[in-house]
Amino acid sequence: MTEIATNTPVRIDSPSKRIAKQFIEDPVAVVGLILFGLVALIAIAAPWLAPQNPYDLAQLNIMDSSLPPGETSFDTEMTYWLGTDQQGRDMLSAIMYGLRISLLVATVSLALAITIGTIVGVFAAFFGGRLDSIIMRIVDLQLSFPAILIALILLALLGRGVDKVIMALVIVQWAYYARTVRSSAMVERSKDYIDAARCLGLPSRRIMFRHLLPNCVPPLIVVATVQIAQAIALEATLSFLGVGVPITEPSLGLLIANGYDYLLSGNYWISVFPGIALVVTIIAINLVGDRLRDVLNPRLQK
Amino acid sequence: MKMRALTLPIVAGLAAAGISPATAQELAIGLKSEATSMDPQFHQLSTNIQVAKNIFEALTTQDAVQKVTPGLAESWEAIDDTTWRFNLREGVTFHDGSEFTARDVIYSFCRIPLVQNSPSPFTIYSAGIADMTAEDDHTLTITTKATNPLLPTELWSLAIVSADTLGAEEEITYGPDGTCEGMGEVPQAPAFNSPDVAVGTGPYKLETYTRGSEVVLSRFDEYWGGTPDWERVVMRPITSDGPRVAALLAGDVDMIESPPIQDLPRIEDAGLKVVDALSNRVIYLHMQQLEDAPGISGTDGENPLLDPRVREAISLSINRDAIVERIMGGYAVAAGELLPPPMFGTSERPVDPYDPERAKELLAEAGYPDGFSITLGTPNDRYINDEQVAQAVAQMLAQIGIDTRVDASTASQFFSRRNDLEFPIYMAGWGASSGDMSSPLKSLVATYDPDTGMGPTNAGRYSNPEMDALLLEAMSTIDDTKRDRMLQEAETMVLNDYGIIPLHYEQTVWAMKPNLSYEPRVDQYTMATKVEPASE
Repeated sequence: MTEIATNTPVRIDSPSKRIAKQFIEDPVAVVGLILFGLVALIAIAAPWLAPQNPYDLAQLNIMDSSLPPGETSFDTEMTYWLGTDQQGRDMLSAIMYGLRISLLVATVSLALAITIGTIVGVFAAFFGGRLDSIIMRIVDLQLSFPAILIALILLALLGRGVDKVIMALVIVQWAYYARTVRSSAMVERSKDYIDAARCLGLPSRRIMFRHLLPNCVPPLIVVATVQIAQAIALEATLSFLGVGVPITEPSLGLLIANGYDYLLSGNYWISVFPGIALVVTIIAINLVGDRLRDVLNPRLQK
Repeated sequence: MKMRALTLPIVAGLAAAGISPATAQELAIGLKSEATSMDPQFHQLSTNIQVAKNIFEALTTQDAVQKVTPGLAESWEAIDDTTWRFNLREGVTFHDGSEFTARDVIYSFCRIPLVQNSPSPFTIYSAGIADMTAEDDHTLTITTKATNPLLPTELWSLAIVSADTLGAEEEITYGPDGTCEGMGEVPQAPAFNSPDVAVGTGPYKLETYTRGSEVVLSRFDEYWGGTPDWERVVMRPITSDGPRVAALLAGDVDMIESPPIQDLPRIEDAGLKVVDALSNRVIYLHMQQLEDAPGISGTDGENPLLDPRVREAISLSINRDAIVERIMGGYAVAAGELLPPPMFGTSERPVDPYDPERAKELLAEAGYPDGFSITLGTPNDRYINDEQVAQAVAQMLAQIGIDTRVDASTASQFFSRRNDLEFPIYMAGWGASSGDMSSPLKSLVATYDPDTGMGPTNAGRYSNPEMDALLLEAMSTIDDTKRDRMLQEAETMVLNDYGIIPLHYEQTVWAMKPNLSYEPRVDQYTMATKVEPASE
């Protein structure tokens, strides 16, 4: 670095380029990113990749139930590389489809929760006063209950179903984003550029969404990466407890729950493989999230 | 059908008359579910009954194969069609020392309609009793409202409590449906959680009842039937299958009920004993036979289940042997009737064959060549592997073109939703407590009528007036041969109509330490009184 001549014009990278550059400096995070990419690819392409549609009951045959990994179906040529569950469902296909459901639930609920949380947070910070107090007390109240408890109560009332799980996750998660956005917006609000915008007579809506919000994004990204991993885990937990997705369309959590009864009797594959898939997914996201947090943290900037 | 499953294996229960002091002191049993009350007249639920049967007795008893034998009544006779005389056992005392007399029996029967908030009351047995009079302390006459040949069988369900302990007056006069006189202040179910109130004549006394944790019983030394085998009995609810098996393997409990079928090889490998019996419980599919059934689509608003051909197709599409073999691990028997033969009123009707091709033809004939969509309701914690069985049924229905969604919920939720007719088709089970065909016919397929109490569990609303008439006639026929034939005929009518579809009979399994023996019971009860130290 000492070679750099003082008169060389300094190239200032755009923020996203800088972030990308710093991100790849950590090989562990890159591995995480690649793993996550793979998982996402499998999830998206599951209907074309999977040897069987595990949700089409007509394709299953109970005579193939509980086969260990590597066995062949009793009537077709199909080989079950990861074994089958009690219903004769190919575990490999079930995991692919399960990932699909898990990621779908997590990303959709994340998007909805961020939208709601951000709007609420910006409003609270920008207008302050009584509105702020009311919103933040609601947030406090919600955050003081464990997420799993709230989700369980909601699902007990709503019933099973992918849409209902998404709804429950949104309700559980919006408060995190609202609080994050509010605290960074509070800091930004008192800065000069906001005053400048006010002096220009810009409408509040424009100041909020065009000036204030973009500067609140970095902490939001960090919270989102942590939360998406939590959303996946929460969905798996709910399904494991039997209140999540319908039993004929298992997600990873439900697959693990199905196999749980058989763990002690030696049919390990029903639980273990979906468990590995779940762990890999969550670790990959967390690795990416950790690195992003470091990269986006202004205090750790060189 | 497997022969092993048909025979009722009986473990030699030749316990030595004396107690071997080394082992026979304390018995710990791991139960699958917990009793909701210690009041034997509160809730008609096998979980409660099996605990209460250790503390309380009834006028009659039923042995492991549901044969009626004398209990607190030594003998009985039918004087005419509606009058019975019972000779009560003498020298029987309650746990608190008071003597058992006919007054206690009258009090017990009087109390049944006075028990409040019962989720499933015992009044279905007591309501038919018109009058009771004590000729002397140990002779009792019971008059029934209608002819009831099953009275001695039903009496087993009516536990005898102590009139003195519960605060009755000296003179009790029977009146039907809660109009008895001289009852005093009748204690309600919660009072029975105390050993001072839960006083019976049974071989064990209640020591403590800790909700959510355990029921502790201790030996009643003055028991009329001889000294019980165990000094202390602990009954512990361990609702999760895995931990219950683990508790047995670790030696925390001596015996468990309903070990999961997939764990049996492991239990046997550990040197423990497994016994099983064919139960009187049939698992069945019931189909809603009303014009506007919910949860069906692809039929232009019509209910295809009204067509007997569709119902037959459903039955033919089910591979019962595959369910028994693959899901029940062989611990079940494919069912062709509502009660396993050779029990009373069965006709040995063959099991419906697995014929998906014929099923598709039938669907096409009925006007549904492309099938339709339907929701199958099932509990997920009530019957052995219930959720798995329902999914397998859904799979088989899908293969003939009936696209089936499984709606599984916990038992309490399932039963209330089922009673609200929320499911177009549902899976449930029925255990015939009386051990005869009138029980499933009366409850499951007789035309629903809350006034007469017929068809209380007929949430498919199947209705066949001809069958109803025949059933009513059978229920008031004293002659066993005639009644048997009538019940067979009534059952055949229903099954020819495919009004209900039997799937399989459950087999009940118990696992225990090798030094114990238990005669497996048809009624699925786990009773400490019947656990004996095995003779070496």
